[in-house]
Amino acid sequence: MSDPKDAHHDAHNPHPHDESRFEHGDIRDVAGHPVKDQAQLLPVPPTDEPVAAGGRTLWGDAWYRLRKNKLAIAGLIWVIFVILVTLTADVWVKPVFGDPLAMDTTLGANLQPPSADHIMGTDKLGRDVFSRVVYGARISLTVGIIAVAISVVIGLILGALSGYFGGFIDALIMRGADVFLAFPYVLFAIALIAVLGPSYRNVFIAIGILGWPSIARVFRSSILSVKENEYIDAARSMGAGHMRMIFRHIMPNAVAPIIVYGTMSIGGAIITEAALSFLGMGVQPPTPSWGLMLSDARPLMVRAPWLMLWPGFAILTTVLAFVLMGDGLRDALDVKMKD
Amino acid sequence: MSTLLEVRNLKTHFHTRDGIVKAVDGVNFSLEAGKTLAVVGESGSGKSVTALSIMRLIPQSTGVIGSDSDILFKGESILHMDDAGVRAIRGDRIAMIFQDPMTSLNPVYRVGRQIGESLVLHKGLKKKEANERAVELLDMVGIPNPRDRARDYPHQFSGGMRQRAMIAMALACDPDILIADEPTTALDVTIQAQILELMIALQDRTGTAIIMITHDLGVVADMADDVMVMYAGRQIEAGSADDVFYRSLHPYTWGLLDSLPRHDVSEKGILMPIIGQPPSLINVPPGCAFNPRCPFAKDVCRSTVPPLVPIEDGHSSACLFSEDPAFRRDSASPSGEVA
Repeated sequence: MSDPKDAHHDAHNPHPHDESRFEHGDIRDVAGHPVKDQAQLLPVPPTDEPVAAGGRTLWGDAWYRLRKNKLAIAGLIWVIFVILVTLTADVWVKPVFGDPLAMDTTLGANLQPPSADHIMGTDKLGRDVFSRVVYGARISLTVGIIAVAISVVIGLILGALSGYFGGFIDALIMRGADVFLAFPYVLFAIALIAVLGPSYRNVFIAIGILGWPSIARVFRSSILSVKENEYIDAARSMGAGHMRMIFRHIMPNAVAPIIVYGTMSIGGAIITEAALSFLGMGVQPPTPSWGLMLSDARPLMVRAPWLMLWPGFAILTTVLAFVLMGDGLRDALDVKMKD
Repeated sequence: MSTLLEVRNLKTHFHTRDGIVKAVDGVNFSLEAGKTLAVVGESGSGKSVTALSIMRLIPQSTGVIGSDSDILFKGESILHMDDAGVRAIRGDRIAMIFQDPMTSLNPVYRVGRQIGESLVLHKGLKKKEANERAVELLDMVGIPNPRDRARDYPHQFSGGMRQRAMIAMALACDPDILIADEPTTALDVTIQAQILELMIALQDRTGTAIIMITHDLGVVADMADDVMVMYAGRQIEAGSADDVFYRSLHPYTWGLLDSLPRHDVSEKGILMPIIGQPPSLINVPPGCAFNPRCPFAKDVCRSTVPPLVPIEDGHSSACLFSEDPAFRRDSASPSGEVA
């Protein structure tokens, strides 16, 4: 045990029993503290259990471990930065850099390279690219978060039922998931949107619906392994019913992989949105979206390469940030990493 | 003395891909208030499955309890109760302590709250009252500073403390029966002794009947009023602790006693193990299940399944030769080498 942990532990457990050690006797324990009597040498020093450094709760511990992961924190900071910028965009981006939808049809106003006026240049209709990238972030983040929220809600419920009850219910839900997974992802999304009609709302509905099978499978397997723990039998032996077992005893122990997977999926959903918009099946012009901007930039790749660069960079960094966060969360929530 | 629990012809079989595992195959016993029954046997002899059957915790997907089996608690059949009825008994009237204290507490909840859970479930206590009671219970099982410790998470407890917490949890509702499934196996020897003393003291105070499942004969000698020895899913000897220890009838029990280290017998200091392995419960040997390992086995042992028959008052054995007064531990000699 290292010294800082000792100090921490003592600060949190100021037991009189511990203090009495310092007044007595000749016997000293390994740490050099005097030991009052032999009874204290028995391996049942009730207060000497090391307290996990950094916090008294599991989440406190997780946050402590996450903080030590520089990449995850970088991802977190980037995501918070992007969210803050988009939330405050109306206040400063629109007045300073211009409306993302405002076209400038003056001769020579379009396809400008980056300059002091337009720090990311202008597109083929003379719109400010920086402004469009910022407002595009709104679409991408909203789609990413709402779509994943939809998949997580469906996936958690179905995965929990599947893993907890097993048998016929399990088979039914898992074969349903297999059907979803059997179709190529983007093709299925395009087919769904073809039926629902291409729009901003239908993009996250489609991505959300398509995302549930993986969440359900991850959660199911997590529940299956949690279910084997003795504390689950112990809880049943205490008289807990099905709902209490699922929601109070199993779910909180099984949810960590979903937090990780969900965080990473946000990145995936952003990419899918971009792909669908690129293909014209997503957000419709003139609404700014990163995928749509890439699509618009494609024919102009040689004449105005920055048009492609900025939204591409935005997608890359944001998706990477979510993935790094997810990676860090996985390590932070892994109990085996403790100490 | 009133009979609390009566187990009649309990047969718990598991249907697996390899065949039917007869984990428990025709066990009968009864338990009176305030008494301690020890269930002894090697791993895989059906001890734990017997306990889980009483709690109705056998997985329904694979486990089948025989239709002519019955378990009566205060005259009421546990096996024929509906789920709500079983849940009302679990944790309230019959509580169970599990083998591994390290995994028997739910890692995401504070210890105090877990101990209070059955009080909330069964006694309708408010959370605050349940927590107060949990602190009292922790104090009762000898955890110092119970008020602070109730706010700890299980990972902040040592193994011995967790087992104490499990005992507190099991005793929360003053159960009539406490089933302890190898409660000390995972602990080191000094803690074992403390836990056993604690259980004896608590039994004196509360009058709880205990079913102690163990493979440790030392534990049995300390605690048990009655002993039941199991082999391959069947009882092979049953009687008072004195009967089984000092006047044991079955060669398997002799083997168990001979393989026990004793500090008062120093002749050669050599332990006598029982040769061979416990049988597969799918292919139990024909005749007496112990015959392949029994030094006294005759031809008749390979063809006849010996029933459990009373030999002396309250002392039964399932050996074809037990009725012969010359066939006793000290006098029987297959080839003159058994001490």
